[in-house]
Amino acid sequence: MDMIQLVLVSMVAALLYIILKDIQPTFAFLILLLTSALIILVVIKQIQIILQLLQAIGERASIDATYIHTILKIIGIAYVTELGANITKDAGLASVASKLELAGKIFIILLAIPIITAVIDVVIQFIPTNTNHLP
Amino acid sequence: MFVDATILFQIAGIGIITALIHTVLKQVGKEDIAQFVSLVGFIIVLVIVIQHLADLFQQIKSVFLLQGF
Amino acid sequence: MMKFIGALLFITTSSWIGFDLSKQLSRRTIQIRQLIQSIQLLETEMSYSQLTLQHTFQIISKKTDPPISLFYKKLAEDMEGIVTDFITVWDEAITYLQQSSDLKQRELEVLKQFGRNLGQHTFTEQQKHIVLTIHHLQHELKEANERRQQYEKMTKSLGVLIGILIVLLLI
Repeated sequence: MDMIQLVLVSMVAALLYIILKDIQPTFAFLILLLTSALIILVVIKQIQIILQLLQAIGERASIDATYIHTILKIIGIAYVTELGANITKDAGLASVASKLELAGKIFIILLAIPIITAVIDVVIQFIPTNTNHLP
Repeated sequence: MFVDATILFQIAGIGIITALIHTVLKQVGKEDIAQFVSLVGFIIVLVIVIQHLADLFQQIKSVFLLQGF
Repeated sequence: MMKFIGALLFITTSSWIGFDLSKQLSRRTIQIRQLIQSIQLLETEMSYSQLTLQHTFQIISKKTDPPISLFYKKLAEDMEGIVTDFITVWDEAITYLQQSSDLKQRELEVLKQFGRNLGQHTFTEQQKHIVLTIHHLQHELKEANERRQQYEKMTKSLGVLIGILIVLLLI
């Protein structure tokens, strides 16, 4: 069972963290960093399967591939930002963590620009621009 | 899926041992060497952790198609 | 399994090195003390029995413990027959002592200086030299004792700890 293994690993990491916190705080922080990395490394292979499913569904619905790729990138940025923000917050740098989250949001919006413009184009097509048709 | 937890124990062990060496050297009065030992231990562990982090980020990049970011 | 045996061997070896280093520190103080005693013996032998140096050295080698006794034994053996140059014999014996004991260069230098004056003067002057040498050696003994108190525990624990650290790094 993957899940039980992950829980046990994080429990072990928590115990080691408590032991090391008083005698070597830097090492305790490295334990924290490594545990996060290990757990995400396990999870990321599962994420890949989910994303492949998403891509397959998108292809069946004949959605433009660039849209799917943009969404994947957005999800990726969200995960990476959260990882970085949590670790910096654990290290006691709450202000840096909030800046990191802000940066993540901005990059997501930047990536979403083509999609937003496409949506706006569609909406504008629905709005009648020519007022002469009005009675 | 096998999660390798030995590396956690390894790092914790190195941390405890360097802390002990630090206290032993400090008792004798060699603070500078004690500091140096702690620093070297930290750098060694940092190298181990950095390798895993690099692996993680490589995986994230390939899964989420984040080549440009 | 092999890994485990190797790790155990490594830790044992490094602990042994640490213990040996700390033993060396305590052995040095003991040997300096023995050296002082042997020179005092030399003084009494000189003043009361008035034998040749070779015989005196033989008697002292019987009365002391190794490695100091080995030093006097070698001196006595080297002085069999006709000795033209006592200083070279003395210096050779000191190099031998350096290899077989834990004495440092400073004590040996004091001893070397002592050999330069041995048998060159009248008894009263010789006695002054002996007192001076003992004084120097006692100073060295004090310094060695301080070093021992400071580093004996440290070398012991550092040997074990460095062994475990390297094993942990190599796992």
